[in-house]
Amino acid sequence: MTVCSLPGGAPPGGSRPPRRFCGLAAALALLAAASVALAPSVAAAHGATPQKVVETIEIAAPPDKVWAVVGDFADVSWRPEIERAEAEGGNVPEKAKRRLFYKRGGSLDERLVQYDSAAMSLRYIIERADINVLPVGNLSATLTVRGIADGASRVEWKSRFYRAFPGGNPPEQFTDEVATDAVTRIFKAGLASLKAKLERP
Amino acid sequence: MSRVDAPPRHCEPKAKQSSRRLSFPGWLRRFAPRHDGLSALVAPILLILAFSSARADEAFIPNQGGGDLAIVDLAAMTVAARLPLGGKPAGVAVAPDGLRVYVTSPEGGFVSVIDARARRVEKRIEAPGLPFGVAVAPDGGKIYVADMNGRELTEIDAQSGAKRKAEVGAVPSGVAVTPDGAVIVVSARDDDALVLLDAETLAVRATIPVGRHPFGLAIDAAGERAYCVNVESDDLSVVDLKTQRLVATVKVGKRPYGVALAGGRVFAANQYDETVSVLDARSLAPLAVVKVGEYPESLSASPDGARIYVTNWFSNELWALDAQSLEILGKTETGEGPRAFGAFVRKTD
Repeated sequence: MTVCSLPGGAPPGGSRPPRRFCGLAAALALLAAASVALAPSVAAAHGATPQKVVETIEIAAPPDKVWAVVGDFADVSWRPEIERAEAEGGNVPEKAKRRLFYKRGGSLDERLVQYDSAAMSLRYIIERADINVLPVGNLSATLTVRGIADGASRVEWKSRFYRAFPGGNPPEQFTDEVATDAVTRIFKAGLASLKAKLERP
Repeated sequence: MSRVDAPPRHCEPKAKQSSRRLSFPGWLRRFAPRHDGLSALVAPILLILAFSSARADEAFIPNQGGGDLAIVDLAAMTVAARLPLGGKPAGVAVAPDGLRVYVTSPEGGFVSVIDARARRVEKRIEAPGLPFGVAVAPDGGKIYVADMNGRELTEIDAQSGAKRKAEVGAVPSGVAVTPDGAVIVVSARDDDALVLLDAETLAVRATIPVGRHPFGLAIDAAGERAYCVNVESDDLSVVDLKTQRLVATVKVGKRPYGVALAGGRVFAANQYDETVSVLDARSLAPLAVVKVGEYPESLSASPDGARIYVTNWFSNELWALDAQSLEILGKTETGEGPRAFGAFVRKTD
């Protein structure tokens, strides 16, 4: 398109639309920019700072018994925040997918990207996010089971993700802290529930 | 983001490789094992002189979570200094003369100018949006900064601070400049394209479709080819800079972030696989896959092309690899969340 200068600068903070527009194009672009600001695109989250969460728990059960649960991508029975899941593709990376329905409403789609049964480790990503369900972008997470002394296991759940708002100066419901807190809560509750389930006599 | 300055090297015997550990610069080691009287006297004096005057090659590693810059002594593989920068520093470019290092702070909206010898922050330059990818012109006169939250590349004059802007495309990420300084290459991540800009006019010369979400970039020493890794299609694209055409796209590992060239080879850091893919730079034949730390991101070569360095974001480490034997030569803790997106190695004074 042909370009001309639009008087006035970009809005303070937040995501900035391109600076030069003409007439109707400018109005449309500003509308588009506003909607982007309200519903941040997950795919555009890279410019912000990636966040790190690592949670571990020790479980008085042998690793293969723990992996039998954790290593089944379709099994979300140990995830207290999840109502149910629709899963397909077994444990085959890139084919295995699951739609998680949250108890408090909403759903996310996840895809298995790596699976190593010998190492008892799997990695998945959120393929379709919903920031009203979980305020994060570009999340990947790894679950690993390791044997420790006395026939017990240690489970590690770690994740890399971004806050839901990709630009600078995020609104208070989409900050790094909000994203980190939400993931930490899910990981802690999930691991505690997994331990309870596996240690039940 | 980095260039190869050395001609391709050939494989050396394994024994020689393993003796080349990291404790001393190579030329000093010849004094260590000798037992005749003269060198027993001379060697310690030379050691003292060497360490008081010259410095080893250094890596400048922005730790985004930690908000600081780790300066790593690459001979000892230890952090020699740490500078607080703020603004979640992520991108880095060492000026070709090694005197200045530029570090972007996307969340602070500025570029820190580091006096590399004095190891201090000289000044901050404001940059629009979320400044992330950065490169320096070969003559050191201009700095190019990509706004990841917008569509533009900003050129900053290193002396006057004067700025010019160019529209590049959606989510400009990696930035590199040809050795003659004539062409700036930018990966427009969400346009799935490499964009070639005329460095003089900042006009777009070509937009070349590559794989899905190109990110890290490298240009060879001859300025003939640009290599980019595509985060979402798990491959490496190669562009001929003269014909401005895509030469090839080849598979690497899962979620490749950074790419570098050394010793006639291409190295790609695969974040999800936690590996580095090694390919022949010309034929693009896959040569090896090396297991590295957790969530590797950025790669840079040593100035002589003998080594390759990789940052591991999740495990907070910098690893050194022999570019030929692919042996792991050393590791060091960097700080919280090393990104170092760009050319992060500085040559010895």
